[in-house]
Amino acid sequence: MRARSIAALVVLSGCTASAPPPAPEAPPPKIAVAAQPAAPSSPPAQMPAAAPAAAPAPSPAPEKVATAPEQAAPKAPPKPAPPAPKVAAPAPTPAAPAAKPAAPPPLDLKSLEDRLKDTSAIGVLTKLSLKNQVDDLVGRFKAFHGGQRPPTLGELRPAFELLLMKVLSLLQDKDGALARDINASRESIWGVLADQDKFARYTS
Amino acid sequence: MRTFAILLATCAAATALAAADPKQKQDLTAVIALNGKPCGEVVSYAVQGDNDFVATCKDKNRYRVYVKEGRVVVEKK
Repeated sequence: MRARSIAALVVLSGCTASAPPPAPEAPPPKIAVAAQPAAPSSPPAQMPAAAPAAAPAPSPAPEKVATAPEQAAPKAPPKPAPPAPKVAAPAPTPAAPAAKPAAPPPLDLKSLEDRLKDTSAIGVLTKLSLKNQVDDLVGRFKAFHGGQRPPTLGELRPAFELLLMKVLSLLQDKDGALARDINASRESIWGVLADQDKFARYTS
Repeated sequence: MRTFAILLATCAAATALAAADPKQKQDLTAVIALNGKPCGEVVSYAVQGDNDFVATCKDKNRYRVYVKEGRVVVEKK
C-alpha cells in the first residue's frame, strides 16, 4: 500500500512537474490571499479566470478593513446609544420625582382652598360670592356625574374657565403667588372635576 | 344724656368711616362685577345693616348688596 501510494505521489509529482505553470499559479493566489495582501495588484490582471476567486478575496479584505472602521463607527454610536437611553432612562426617573414635587403643590387643592380663604387680597363679601359660584359650579358637575344632560363637559368647561378667570383677576394684583399656583393647577382642578371617581373622592 | 350723645356720635363716626373704607368699596366693586352687573367702580356706599349695603357706582347705577342664607345677592335699585 505504501509503495502504491508512493508511486501515486511520484506520478502526481510527475504530473505537476509536467504542468508547472498552472500548479504554481493556483497556489500563489491562495497564499496571496492568506498571507500577502499587497500581491493582489498584479495577479488580478494576470488571471482573469482565477481572479474571481483570488481578487475578491484580497479586495474584500481591504474593503472590509476599510469599511469595517466605517461600519464600526456608525454601528458604534447606535450601540452606545442604546446604553445611553438605558442610562438616560434611570435619569428621567430621578427627574420625574423631581418634577413631581413641583406638581403636587398645584394638585394640593386643600392647600389652595385654605390659601384662598386666608388671603387678604379679596374682601369678605367677594370671597362669599366666589364660594357661592364655586358651589354652583360644583353642583352642576354633580348633576353631570349623576347622568343629567345638560350640562355636558363641553358646557361646563367654559363655566369653569370663566370662574377661574374671575378668581385670577381678583388675585393677580395683590396675591400673585396664589394666582400663579391656582393657574398652574388649572388642568389638575379640571381633572378632578371632570373625572367621576376623583370628583366623588374630593367631594366626599 | 351725655353718654348717649357720645355713643351716638361714635356710631355716626364709625358709619362714616365705614362708608369711606376703600377696601369695602373694592369689595363691593368686586362683588358687583362677579355677579355680572355693570358698575365700573363703587364711588360710595351706605351701610344698611349687617352685611347689607347700598353701593353707588361711577356710572350712577345703584345696587343693594346683601347676604341671604349664605349667598351674596346683588339687586339693582
